[in-house]
Amino acid sequence: MKLLWAVSALLLSCWRADASTAANIVANPPEVSNQTYAVLTCNLTDNLAIKGSYWVHNGKIIEDSKSTDTSPYITHTLEKITHTSGGKYECVFLTEPQVNQTIEVKTLPHVYAYKHSEHGNEKDKGVLVCMSHGYPLPTNWNWYKGDDEDQEPIINGTSDKYEIRSTPNKTTLTINDLSIENDIGDYICSGTNELGTNKDKIHLRVRSRLAALWPFLGIVAEVIILVTIIFIYEKRRKPDEVNDGMYTMKSNSTANHKDKNVRQRNSN
Amino acid sequence: MSPGPADDLGYKPLDGGWGWVVVFGAHISIGFAYSTSKALSIFFKAIQDDLGASYSEAAWISSIMLAAMYAGGPVSSVLVDRFGSRPVVIVGGLLCGVSMAIASVGSSIIYIYFFIGIIGGFGLALNLNASLTIISKYFLVKRPLANGLAMAGSPVFLCLLAPLNQFLLDSFGWRGSLLILGGLILNCCVAGALMRPVIPPSKPSSGSPQKMVEEQPKKRKTKLKESCMKTAKFLDLSFFKDRGFVIYLIGNMMFIFGAYGPIVFLSAYAIDQGVEEYSAAYLLTIMGFVDMIVRPGTGLVASSKWIRPRIQYFFSFAMVFNGTCHLLCPLLKSYVLLVVYAVFFGISFGMVFALIFECLMDLMGSQRFPSAVGLVTIIECIPMLLGPPAAGLLVDIFDDYKYLFFMCGSVITAGGLFLFVMNIYNYHMLEKEKEKEAKDTLQNQKTVETQGQAGVLEAEMKHTPEAALERTEPEAKDKNGAQRAPRQEDAETPN
Repeated sequence: MKLLWAVSALLLSCWRADASTAANIVANPPEVSNQTYAVLTCNLTDNLAIKGSYWVHNGKIIEDSKSTDTSPYITHTLEKITHTSGGKYECVFLTEPQVNQTIEVKTLPHVYAYKHSEHGNEKDKGVLVCMSHGYPLPTNWNWYKGDDEDQEPIINGTSDKYEIRSTPNKTTLTINDLSIENDIGDYICSGTNELGTNKDKIHLRVRSRLAALWPFLGIVAEVIILVTIIFIYEKRRKPDEVNDGMYTMKSNSTANHKDKNVRQRNSN
Repeated sequence: MSPGPADDLGYKPLDGGWGWVVVFGAHISIGFAYSTSKALSIFFKAIQDDLGASYSEAAWISSIMLAAMYAGGPVSSVLVDRFGSRPVVIVGGLLCGVSMAIASVGSSIIYIYFFIGIIGGFGLALNLNASLTIISKYFLVKRPLANGLAMAGSPVFLCLLAPLNQFLLDSFGWRGSLLILGGLILNCCVAGALMRPVIPPSKPSSGSPQKMVEEQPKKRKTKLKESCMKTAKFLDLSFFKDRGFVIYLIGNMMFIFGAYGPIVFLSAYAIDQGVEEYSAAYLLTIMGFVDMIVRPGTGLVASSKWIRPRIQYFFSFAMVFNGTCHLLCPLLKSYVLLVVYAVFFGISFGMVFALIFECLMDLMGSQRFPSAVGLVTIIECIPMLLGPPAAGLLVDIFDDYKYLFFMCGSVITAGGLFLFVMNIYNYHMLEKEKEKEAKDTLQNQKTVETQGQAGVLEAEMKHTPEAALERTEPEAKDKNGAQRAPRQEDAETPN
């Protein structure tokens, strides 16, 4: 009897599980690509008791979208779609158990340089970094050297000079043995995903090794001049005033202390 | 509650005039000494990338420099005693500046350890010790204020050097920045040039009786001989016989052990509490600004006639205040409360550091101060190197910052309370010893006087034949009278 009860409970729970996985949410549109405006909708076609619903963006619950409305049809409006608002959107219905559906909002990659102006020292190496945000992240990164007019692609591994290291959200171009004649200029990083390409520009400046020497020599000169002035000033003030300025005798009359000095020295 | 043997200078110090120029010089010198090692941390990332070092290897640069600065104390003391402050500061500035410039062409991290860490640190040690000593020579009445103003150099220069280093790093790279920084440190030579040596008068002040005039030069000559012999040793261990010194040393060690942990981990703790990165870094800036203002302020307060005689108690109060701030920190969760904590931290930290060397000067007096401070700094090396790693270990074990603050706060508060209680005991013992000394000197004086009187009376008695028989008796009577008189004095002095 107990065994029968256990088996039937098991079957019931399986059937209920089946029922939840079979829950149908119609998401419209199924995917958003390269649009500036979209309205995401989810329609729960099953007859389940709905206590409320909310939307999730990239794993974070959107606070404003929380509702206790029992309607099976919910919407979320994206006014202006940029790389920050792209990503994975989930509509979640508060049913027993919860059900959800995902809508992907895809945008062009947002490619930006970590620093738009980089410095390097002669014969040292220079590192240029570009990052990307958005969804989906770039699958392909490229670097070009040159202005907007003519660009030369930089190919990884052909020479010791250039090294490119890329991950989906960051790419690094390392230029070895910087030279002032050849390496100064603009570098363009471009990231490509399934929707398209975006790029950004970095300007590289190469400083000569001796660039810091001039300020250093300037400071050394300033120190020498100040020290000389101080010592000359002190030599000029000796012998009368310097000793007077140093200390005061314990006697009250400061006017006569010189005489008293003399007197004391003579007395002994 | 009187100050210790502070007035054994033999002359009345200027307490003003050129002294303020010297304070300015000390301000620059101490500023570079304390802030250089901290400000170097801005270059670590660039050095790591260039020389292929790990983060901890780069961080060692600061630690070695700070350790060398404190360990070089005794050598600095000997040099200052021998040559005076001015040449020592000039040499220190040259050493540190040139070593930085040489380090800028370095190709390995060991090279940097040696030049910036050891030689640069040693140069800064010379600066630190000599600057503190010259203040004690120029000031007595306003000395706490002078100390506060000079010690304020540390936060001022840290606030100046941090953004300057960032700018230099962006413009010239780390090598050029080190070169220019070395040049800036050469300005310590200018500061040293300002520290005119004090030439004490060869004769004591007028107004004292002839005998005292003869005795004092003899006493001073023997004192000078003794101090010359002492300074020939690098580590004068006879300081450990001085009760006040040992108390100060223990309290200070406890403070230094707990002091730097919270500074190192404050922004990490703030980020952990959900504050964003820039705001967390801002906390330390706030602390620095408050520190800058509080140090001279504390010096001013400590110079006042109510606090000056009780300066050791004021110091222990500042330490307890600092410790309490740390103990309360884990209760503060929001950013506003953390800002309040940073402000109070800055106030208490500034108070302690403004007084830390003033109290040592107060205890030791100007003659013994250079050797004392050298000994104190080399011993303080140990808690300073152990403190932050111990704090870091606590964070790693418990994965919670609050134990760090509890540990640091409790160690500092315990140190402050220890100082407070032991100073009461110390002053009590000092008074007892003074009374005993006073009794002894009075007894000696009386016996000298009465012996003189007895001699005079004898001479008179000789002329009268009747009294010839009674020669022994008057002497005995006089002797008795002489003995009775000091006993009466004894009865009076215990009050």
